[in-house]
Amino acid sequence: MSSRRLTRRNLLLGTAALAPLLSRRADAFGEKSRFIPAVARHGGNWDLRMSGLRRIAWELQRRTSVEVVPDARGFQLSSPDLFEYPFLYMGGDGSFPALTDAEVANLRRYLTYGGFMLADANDGSDGDGFDASFRREMARVLPQSPLAEVPSGHVVFKSFFLLDAAPGRLLNKPQLAACMLGKRAAVLYSQNDLAGAWNRSESGDYEFDVSPGGEPQRELAVRLGINICMYALCLDYKDDAVHLPLILNKRR
Amino acid sequence: MNSPTFNAWKLVSLSPLPQWVLVLLALGLVLGVALAAWGVRREPSRMRRVLLWTLRVGAGVAALFFLLEPGIRHLQVARMKNRVAVLVDRSASMSFPSEPGGPTRTAQVASFLEKAAPQLAALQDRFTVEMYGFDPELAPVTPASLAKEPARAGTTDLLAAVRAAAGAGQGARKLSGMLLFSDGADNQELKAGVVGRARAALADLNVPVSTFTVGQEALKDLAVEGLKVDDFAFVRNSLTVEVEIHGRGFSGREIPVVLSQEGKTVASKTVRLESSDDMKPVSFTFTPDQTGRFVYTVTVPTFPDEAVADNNTRSFTLKVIRDRVRVLLVVGRPSWDERYLRGLLRQDANVDLVSFYILRTLSDDPGVSSERELSLIPFPMEEIFDTKLDTFDVVIFQNFGHADPSLSIAEYERNLERYIHNGGAFVMIGGDSVLGEGRAMMPTLMEALPVAAAGPANPEPFKARLTPEGLRHPITAIGTGAASTEAAWGELPPIPGANLTTARPGATVLLDVPHMTADGKNAPLVAVWDYGRGRALVMATDASWYWSFAAHRDGSPSRAYDRFWGNALRWLVRDPDLTTLKVTADPPSVEPGRPVGVVVQARMADYQPAQDAQVRVELFSVASQKPVAVQTGTTGTDGVVRLEFAPPAPGPYKLLASAKKGETDLGSGEDAVAVRAVGPELSDASVRPELMEAIAKTTGGKAYKLPQDGLPDVPLLDPPVVEVGRAKDQPLWDRWYYLVALIALLGAEWFARRRFGYV
Repeated sequence: MSSRRLTRRNLLLGTAALAPLLSRRADAFGEKSRFIPAVARHGGNWDLRMSGLRRIAWELQRRTSVEVVPDARGFQLSSPDLFEYPFLYMGGDGSFPALTDAEVANLRRYLTYGGFMLADANDGSDGDGFDASFRREMARVLPQSPLAEVPSGHVVFKSFFLLDAAPGRLLNKPQLAACMLGKRAAVLYSQNDLAGAWNRSESGDYEFDVSPGGEPQRELAVRLGINICMYALCLDYKDDAVHLPLILNKRR
Repeated sequence: MNSPTFNAWKLVSLSPLPQWVLVLLALGLVLGVALAAWGVRREPSRMRRVLLWTLRVGAGVAALFFLLEPGIRHLQVARMKNRVAVLVDRSASMSFPSEPGGPTRTAQVASFLEKAAPQLAALQDRFTVEMYGFDPELAPVTPASLAKEPARAGTTDLLAAVRAAAGAGQGARKLSGMLLFSDGADNQELKAGVVGRARAALADLNVPVSTFTVGQEALKDLAVEGLKVDDFAFVRNSLTVEVEIHGRGFSGREIPVVLSQEGKTVASKTVRLESSDDMKPVSFTFTPDQTGRFVYTVTVPTFPDEAVADNNTRSFTLKVIRDRVRVLLVVGRPSWDERYLRGLLRQDANVDLVSFYILRTLSDDPGVSSERELSLIPFPMEEIFDTKLDTFDVVIFQNFGHADPSLSIAEYERNLERYIHNGGAFVMIGGDSVLGEGRAMMPTLMEALPVAAAGPANPEPFKARLTPEGLRHPITAIGTGAASTEAAWGELPPIPGANLTTARPGATVLLDVPHMTADGKNAPLVAVWDYGRGRALVMATDASWYWSFAAHRDGSPSRAYDRFWGNALRWLVRDPDLTTLKVTADPPSVEPGRPVGVVVQARMADYQPAQDAQVRVELFSVASQKPVAVQTGTTGTDGVVRLEFAPPAPGPYKLLASAKKGETDLGSGEDAVAVRAVGPELSDASVRPELMEAIAKTTGGKAYKLPQDGLPDVPLLDPPVVEVGRAKDQPLWDRWYYLVALIALLGAEWFARRRFGYV
């Protein structure tokens, strides 16, 4: 589903685009304080969107003041090392086997004590495939916080860009779903293969076509990705009273 | 055998017949007269008719005379002596001069009573004259004792005095009247005048109270009166103090009024007094910038010819507390460090968080065609670092340092430094843009911080190490005691990297980096100090979030991060509960001549009560900047001791306390106390003749003003008369000529009736 051919020009441009990431601030504090997406390893196809995650990190660096490491690192859900990466991506194509009790317990602790998880049905499934497996596991992880649709007024739609829908590579569901812990969305879930719209092939081209909206929809998917990262980093900052008049004015 | 001396008589009936028989006989007589009149009604001669009527009436009266047997009862009687109470006001205002340069009001009363002594003695025939001073308790006085002992009472309560006098006295003797000597400067029940229940109470006495007003109304005086201020205020919130400037004899004068806090002028205003007796309200609005208890003083100048100088100042204590801690969080860029601190501050109900994040710099390209596609707002630097800066209790810079002119705070650095110096609290959290990293050096702001940059940051992970100072400090007290705190810090995960800094002289390093040194000492991780009247804290890393999130990696919940930052905020805003020595003036405002009390509560470093601690408290005069007295004591089992100082001179004072238990220093603390120059009694030198007149009018007495030449004719109730000896009856009816008169009248009527043809 490659949309662009690998050319020497594209390769050079892609490499050049990564250069600022390496040259911006010195690594005085190492990488741990920077934004690095962790990726949940599960029994299914968990690593199909690694380049997309690297890409969204890169977009975050380019478009915002956030400092990132343009990388995505896989971890077992039972790993204590997850607690050094407050942003966790969990995607998959097709169903995956049930998580172990240790994984469920660790993920529950991760989310309860401040971790954030972006779940993404890479297969665009609804009621089967990844969707069924994910919903089954979330019912074990956070039984008191069922997945519910995120209202359009949620801060995730204004945490950097002003958005009113949640498209990905697909547009199966116009909105995200969330597991709320208190007022915080600990889990955001897209059934539109959000990271699929970000994914790049080894040649640097976008790997998949985006439908039905094409490239404008891809841009919206990138913006949504940035907003989600911003939400994970800033929580409800854009709900502060000081922002509201200006945001309302811009939305008119 | 001497006959008794009779001094009174009265007419009585000596008839042995019962009263009802006498009444019946009298009715029969009246009937006889009436029938006789009826019998002659047709007599054509008016003269004859009148003659017959007259003779019958005369005979009837004579008959009645014999029936009643009138007599004179000679009596020996005496008058019961009632009381007359002379009440003299002994309140402190009676020490004011009765006129400029004249004797005191009390002296004028004493002089008058001396002069009126003969007239008072003359009253002794009918009354017992009792002379009391009231303060407001009644106590016997004499003109000599009045002249000798100055009036001192702190209040004037005229109603209580007359009530007490009505109930006092010897035995059951009734009160015939009161003579009330006062300036009328009542500051209790009759303060508002003779109205309502006070009026009813005076009327119910049923005793005339004659009033003698002493003192001239035209006294020249300036007074600070009518102070209205709350007992406490919220720091960084505006507060209004209202007073009334009462001026007599200052018509057309401009009077400067100054509000000061322990010698430092807070605000000043000028009022113009329009008339010779004018009262002008003055209000001061100011914003206290520090928590604690402070003495404020409102002052007007003292003019040489004023009646009272002490009422030209009015001091009060104000406890300044925090409402919710208003925190300004300025974030250089979104990061995990920011995310966890924000989460903590947002969930703290005691924190009012205002935050500004730099989400985009000039070098970032959001890839939009219009700014309307972004939710970003301009960074309101002037508003938060200039106009609104003083409204925040704590300002936190989190890796905030930009050299880019649109985001640089170079222009506001001095504001921030002054904000801290003047009592604000500031936190600098490290990262790769501050504390020697990045290009924004912020040299002016750095002056106010307890550390200085010392080189490039080190990304080596390390475990924060508690210093000996940190072991005792409330900020790092995340356990329930020293051992628990040390263990809690030991359990926290390593931190990935820190800024390299050195502590400035005077700074307290609470946590340091074991493997990083600068100038031969371990680099501080957390350091604090007092800068001017404010406080500053530096956290030389952008990874304290590891204590929040990574601390849970092994499964056990940890509250270390929450406790650390909670303690830090409380220390920064000087939460009184975070001091090991709590000093409380008891009471915070002391009336003139009263002792100054202070309660000291000492606690150990682990906040347990410090029993048997040696406490030393110094009473320090703010006005003279000198200690005036020292008291020492030992705490009880609850770690508390109360000490008392002898009454000091009026003015603002600080109570500076320190405590030790053995060789262990328990720290120091302070509170403020205002010793008032004048109580309510002396704050107003005015005379209230209208009140005295109203008292006299309500009770049926008369109102007079001193001086008087002698005692005027005051209204007094007559004392009752009682029979104290024997009585002797002297009949009047048993005289022969009374009988002759009766027979003559009856005979004359009989003769006339025969002569006129009626028998």
